[in-house]
Amino acid sequence: MKKIIQTFTLVLVAITISVAQGFKVKATGEKTFNFEDKKGGSQVSFFSTTPLEDVTGISNAITGKVTFKVDDIKTLKGSISVPVASLKTGIDLRDEHMKSENWMDAENYPDITFVIKNVSDVKIETDNRLQAKVTGDFTTHGVTKEIVVPVTLTYLDESEQTKQRAPGDLLGVQATFNITLSEYDVENMVIGQKMAEDVKITVNIVGSSSM
Amino acid sequence: MNSKQKYVIVVALVLIATALILWIANGGEILSKDGIWVEQPMTELDKALGQKPKLEFVEQFTLGLLPHIAVFVGGVVFISAALFFIFKTKKEKDIK
Repeated sequence: MKKIIQTFTLVLVAITISVAQGFKVKATGEKTFNFEDKKGGSQVSFFSTTPLEDVTGISNAITGKVTFKVDDIKTLKGSISVPVASLKTGIDLRDEHMKSENWMDAENYPDITFVIKNVSDVKIETDNRLQAKVTGDFTTHGVTKEIVVPVTLTYLDESEQTKQRAPGDLLGVQATFNITLSEYDVENMVIGQKMAEDVKITVNIVGSSSM
Repeated sequence: MNSKQKYVIVVALVLIATALILWIANGGEILSKDGIWVEQPMTELDKALGQKPKLEFVEQFTLGLLPHIAVFVGGVVFISAALFFIFKTKKEKDIK
């Protein structure tokens, strides 16, 4: 009976290890990555195209933290935020319109946030890079919707090269997804349909385990 | 139509045509822009981190239809119409 229990336990552990999908790097255990980058090296951008004009905007003021077990990305938890006030489109007047009460209402809804709920469809590309679908709550203009974001995560152990950017291990996050403004009660008609209904968002951010 | 009125029309048409050629030569954008977004060169570390090129705003004026060309063409039309009327009035006075 004892041998059966031992065998069952070993099989269970083996299954758990084989199901766990994560990075095969030097680092082990649970790691927390901080995405606040005072040098402005991280960037979230949006792109909107209309018959009148194409609008591109960026923010380099990203904040947030994520935590996960290095060998199991499905344990990923955390959130990322972008202040509405930090969005820049290259035209000051348009930036003011965008932050105004009639549009993004930065005063009442100061942040755009994404809170991670779970990770699925993990595909290992290399030992330190994987693709996954991250489900989370996306909030803007005070409205929260659950969305699925395809992301590419890259883990770099601390080295002389990574120290140029920040101390500690680095986590690169790259993602592109679309949101529909009307689903978040953002009335693009207010600014004369200068923004399309669907806006493409591109995330290029790097977090450090020591910040 | 006297010779002065014809001259006003020709000058107005030349100015409008020049403005439109300038507009097309600047890319035919609907709206004027103060700058453009350009992709920053990626470092080896950026590539290793799986990042895509980041965008940077570079100040570079682009002449658009609105407001610059439209205001200029509108101004030319308004001034031409006024001159056309002035010259016509002067001619009638001269005849009397």
